[in-house]
Amino acid sequence: MQAGEYLIETRGLSRRFGRQVAVADLNLLVPAAGVYGFLGPNGAGKTTAIRMLLGLIRPDAGEVRLFGQPLMSNHRALMSRVGALVEAPSLYPHLTGRENLEVTRRLLGSPRALIDVALETIRMTRDADRRVREYSLGMRQRLGLALALLNKPQLLILDEPTNGLDPAGIHEMRDLIRRLPEEFGVTVFLSSHLLSEVEQIAGHIGIIHESRLLFQGTLAELQQKQQTELAVGVTRPEEAMACLREAGWSVAQRDGLLSVVAKAPEDAARINRLLVDHRLDVFHLALSQQSLEDIFLTLTR
Amino acid sequence: MLSSELIFLLRALHAELLKLKRTLAFRVIFVLPFFIALLQFFVIWRTKKFPADFNLWQTHATNSFQIWAIFMMPLLIALETALLNGIEHADKQWKHLFALPVPRHSIYFSKFITAAGLILASTLVLALLIVIVGVVATSLRPELVSSSLRAATSSVGATGSSVGAGPSGAGSLRYFGLGVVPYFWIAKLALEVWLASWLIIAIHTWISMRWAGFPIPLGAGIGGTFFALFAASAAIGKYYPWLLPMNLFLDGRFTTALVLGIGGGILATLLGCFEFVRRDVS
Repeated sequence: MQAGEYLIETRGLSRRFGRQVAVADLNLLVPAAGVYGFLGPNGAGKTTAIRMLLGLIRPDAGEVRLFGQPLMSNHRALMSRVGALVEAPSLYPHLTGRENLEVTRRLLGSPRALIDVALETIRMTRDADRRVREYSLGMRQRLGLALALLNKPQLLILDEPTNGLDPAGIHEMRDLIRRLPEEFGVTVFLSSHLLSEVEQIAGHIGIIHESRLLFQGTLAELQQKQQTELAVGVTRPEEAMACLREAGWSVAQRDGLLSVVAKAPEDAARINRLLVDHRLDVFHLALSQQSLEDIFLTLTR
Repeated sequence: MLSSELIFLLRALHAELLKLKRTLAFRVIFVLPFFIALLQFFVIWRTKKFPADFNLWQTHATNSFQIWAIFMMPLLIALETALLNGIEHADKQWKHLFALPVPRHSIYFSKFITAAGLILASTLVLALLIVIVGVVATSLRPELVSSSLRAATSSVGATGSSVGAGPSGAGSLRYFGLGVVPYFWIAKLALEVWLASWLIIAIHTWISMRWAGFPIPLGAGIGGTFFALFAASAAIGKYYPWLLPMNLFLDGRFTTALVLGIGGGILATLLGCFEFVRRDVS
């Protein structure tokens, strides 16, 4: 792969099921190294997009390129560099953890030693010879991750890997995923419906909502979209609102206070002066930063 | 190019073998032939008087294989393919399998071959049980000794004539009558019945991959078998997939049954695969 290219690149990727549009004109750019968080509420089109990235379903329009090559004509070669865990892990409950890995190993024809490596990575060597039927949800999910890691992929695609896990399981899974880029040099493409899931581990973020990509960039770029909100308590709020709007501020009334979108903290002083100059008495003035979660919610509202 | 395709297929078969571990799919190949053997045993044991020209091996083996061909084997095929593919539907394994650097058709062909292998194994188990039942019946009913010496079929030639030769055959009866069993002829019947069933296996492989769960695959199996019971006398029965194994035993249908069973089986597998590899995987 040449410098400047992306591990995942989609151009105008679209897919509908009957009349329902699942993914529309999706242009993903996932750089090498680190974790890319693919965010969106349930039903936004994440899973459909991921299935197209893996060649499980065909797009109606657009193209998927992995490692700079079109997926359609190089599926087998490209998939040998990709590991995937889509939704719940695909496991055979009547086989042991080790046997489940062995099934995939046989299909791939890879060396036996890789099974122990994968088991160590997910810290499951001790339980490897128990049947999967007896595994907890967290253990099953980790085994699913081991299946995805078995062939030493350069790109790992994980769809909601912490879905349905208890807090301990979520923590464990997140820890594992965070280690992967550092220890194995693998790029992780991770989907989630919770920003809190990915903001601690992802460098890049893509936000999808109602089949469309609303934002794509670094976490820092997303933070720049943060707005400061100024809550103003003022006599005659109707008059104050009109006055602020006239001056170009974006204002809303909320719980008896005015909510003004500010660019910087100094705006508080300006707004205060403006109101006082108009003989309106200000009795409350409070600045609050929007959290990333708020941005996410604002974007996907 | 062909050799790499073959390697993928062998790998997929290797993986299928492991998946069979501890499964009902594996155990059931021993159970169903046992029912037929049990039935045959009681039929022979409880027969009051055998006709003078009674031919033990021909009657016993042919009856066993006919019940197998028209009823038990088609249902076993429906059950086996539903079980083999059921483990892939259960946890949506298809999405994992098809995101691997493995061609989809190697997975499809390996499923057909595994099902066919299990049916062959089960048919051979039946062949073994036929021998055991025949030998045990001979020792329980001494009057069967002479009928067990008759050639199974007139066309068996060498084997038949040496078995029917008398003194030498009678001599080996000391070893529980094992020396007079027409092994070759029974094995040939088993193999023919199996070959004629390829088309049924191919149809059920596709159905059970296409639809998850038991209702549709088993419904198709029961329906197919049900009509077979009545189609035997109809002219169309000559070409009815679920009747092909039985047609081996009916006049003028032997060649069609084998050719259509094998050829149709291969063709149906190719068509099923063609459809399957193009499907969206959810």
